Amino acid sequence: MSACFTLRFKMIHRVLRCAFQLPGPSVIRLQPMCVAVGEQNPPCGTLETTKEYMFVERLIPPTRVPVPPRHDGPAPSGWAPPSDVPPSLPYMVRRSRMHNIPVYTDISHGNRRTTVLRRVEGDIWALDGAVKELLKRLTGTDRSTQVNEVTMSIRIKGHYDKEIKEWLMQKGF
Amino acid sequence: MSLIKKPGGKALDVLQNLPRITLANLRPEPGSKQKEKRRGRGQYGGNRSGRGHKGERQRGTRPRLGFEGGATPFYLIIPKYGYNEGHSRRPQYQPLSLKRLQYLIDVGRLDPSQPIDLTQLVNARGVTIQPQKRDFGVQLVDEGAELFSAKINIEVQRASEAVIAAVERNGGVLTNSFYDPISLAILIKPVPFFLRGQPIPKRMHPGEEMVPFYMDPCARGYLAPPEQVQQARLALAKKYGYVLPDLSRDELFHMLSSRKDPRQIFFGLSPGWVVNMADRKILKPTDEKLVQYYGS
Repeated sequence: MSACFTLRFKMIHRVLRCAFQLPGPSVIRLQPMCVAVGEQNPPCGTLETTKEYMFVERLIPPTRVPVPPRHDGPAPSGWAPPSDVPPSLPYMVRRSRMHNIPVYTDISHGNRRTTVLRRVEGDIWALDGAVKELLKRLTGTDRSTQVNEVTMSIRIKGHYDKEIKEWLMQKGF
Repeated sequence: MSLIKKPGGKALDVLQNLPRITLANLRPEPGSKQKEKRRGRGQYGGNRSGRGHKGERQRGTRPRLGFEGGATPFYLIIPKYGYNEGHSRRPQYQPLSLKRLQYLIDVGRLDPSQPIDLTQLVNARGVTIQPQKRDFGVQLVDEGAELFSAKINIEVQRASEAVIAAVERNGGVLTNSFYDPISLAILIKPVPFFLRGQPIPKRMHPGEEMVPFYMDPCARGYLAPPEQVQQARLALAKKYGYVLPDLSRDELFHMLSSRKDPRQIFFGLSPGWVVNMADRKILKPTDEKLVQYYGS
């Protein structure tokens, strides 16, 4: 296999003095590029446009969240896009700004673990019932939940983010 | 199907139908407020007010925390040892797991068809580097090595053997390269640097302790000779039991084999150049001495 290709920068050798180093009377100017006094001229150096500027454009950070590319089924990391047709249920859970499922874990006082399910729309009490049923099936106990109708979110006692994310993704949200 | 989002729901119905809420109508949930303990009042709070009987306890003249009545206390009898000595001079590397890297590629925040270096990772908001907190770059961690399946040309500052194997198994290329703190600050935030109008500086070489690591072909150091790196790739493939894909037949071979010069900070841009973002131009020096300095 061939060796790695290293990018070497090109040197352009010219005999010129920079405009801001005021030359004395004994200096011979071969190519008076930076001549006129009082003229707003660029500093001595060749100006190279777009040819290398594309490398600079690559470095500028994007300001908007990019649209994820299309995948056939779940991606290798486990991420999957929402299904094109929203599921026919009385509730809806939208994706976050970064195209993820809005389930988050929270800890207060060092030992109080909760899971928050945000961005709910529609009949939140039906979703609450479904979540309770899911957790009853998984853990065998009744997990207490809190429904906040103003922010349209559900807070569940305990860390169940992985299970709920999987369940929502499998539903197609 | 249309879902009407009705924030408030039942609570809003209750609010609309009951009389106006005023201070006279409100009361805390029974059991939520517990009365505070008032010392020195009544039959049980009075008498000694919870201070005990005589002595330093009642009189409030107990000695300092850690005092053991005159015996050499625990915190003085244990000898000192420099566990944390020089902690603020130790280089730190922000971890990035292969699982997160795969996630960033899947969601489209990282472009695998271009070489991935620290600028691309920071632009994708995949890691946050703080050069002021002794961060020297990013390290790849092998969590998620089994589910990693992207072919990339990635440049990090530290990577373990398992990570290198995971990347090369999928036909990718990994390089460990060094950035001194000034170059690192420029690398993670190129736009504010270009707006300063200063020429791109040369990247400095690593210090004495780090040179062996960056010259080690097994660690894919950027200063290691390419032939030894190739031998190390074959050896690692044998060790981890996978077939090393032949990169020379790949259509992305040019991208996968592109690497930065040891003195270069950005791909395609040499030290000494000044970037003019307003006019979309690059100025290059022509003075002999400058060219010689930036070329060394």
